[in-house]
Amino acid sequence: MEDWRRIDIDAFDPESGRLTEEDLKPPYATQVGLQELQPKISQLRSAATSGDFASAVQLATSDPPYNSDDATKLQYFSAVLEVLTQVRQAEIINIVKQLSPKQQEVLIKYLYKGMSLPEGQKQGGILLSWFEKVTQVSGVGPIVRYLSDRNTV
Amino acid sequence: MSQSLRPYLTAVRHSLQAALNLSNFSSQVVERHNRPEVEVPNASAELLLQPMHISRNEHEQVLIEPSVNSVRVSIKVKQADEIEQILVHKFTRFLEQRAESFYVLRRVAIPGFSISFLITNMHTETMNTEKLVDFIIEFMEEVDKEISEMKLFLNARARFVAEAYLGEFVY
Repeated sequence: MEDWRRIDIDAFDPESGRLTEEDLKPPYATQVGLQELQPKISQLRSAATSGDFASAVQLATSDPPYNSDDATKLQYFSAVLEVLTQVRQAEIINIVKQLSPKQQEVLIKYLYKGMSLPEGQKQGGILLSWFEKVTQVSGVGPIVRYLSDRNTV
Repeated sequence: MSQSLRPYLTAVRHSLQAALNLSNFSSQVVERHNRPEVEVPNASAELLLQPMHISRNEHEQVLIEPSVNSVRVSIKVKQADEIEQILVHKFTRFLEQRAESFYVLRRVAIPGFSISFLITNMHTETMNTEKLVDFIIEFMEEVDKEISEMKLFLNARARFVAEAYLGEFVY
């Protein structure tokens, strides 16, 4: 038999006041599925192939799918990663300067997500140079806001 | 410093500066206890903040897990071959056995990483936070250098020993 002294009884008590990851998510009005997101992903891809990276990054970092399931987020993320890795080193700083503070926060979220996944870790150097440029432009602010934000990408 | 090491270290520095913003926080579950919330199993989720992964490539990563009163920093040191794996293991084990003289070192690294640090609000209150960040960064710089130096030394020594030993059999 399981060691009953080690059973976490608070987990079974609805009045223990303990919050889970789910409780902290902001209440979203709607759920965005992959179908609704597909046009945006293809828009991102076409902007990247035509070489218009500034608007591609602008598009990627505005209104990201916070209220989707993990699979959809991953699809969107891989499109964003594709855009980020195609940009030339010298252009990064100019693109970052054009972003609004809100968009920079979203960019930081995608950079941290990228570095936590194997497909992004292969491009670690590129993501790190994006990261460096964002901190050059606006300091630690976006990172602090990333820490406390419960909207995940 | 090599081209890609600098952005890596600045990313870690900025992330640590953001994360090392700790306050005294008593346990919500046990009276008169004060525990590092990042280490407590089944902690209430609002006490934990978003974890930060910083990776240079698959082999060199840093994971920073912040919470309201403590930060856990785990470092994965580059291990290119089996000799380096052994050296890193021995080296980190040597440090971990002497963890109390480093104050912020965690005795056991979390799975998947080579070495972990646990910084609590006690540390940031008694020590200079900037210097703590400097220490972690310096550690990351030095550990790579140390490991490759040890590897060179080990190879040189192995060659010398092999020559001295096998020289006996040359007529």
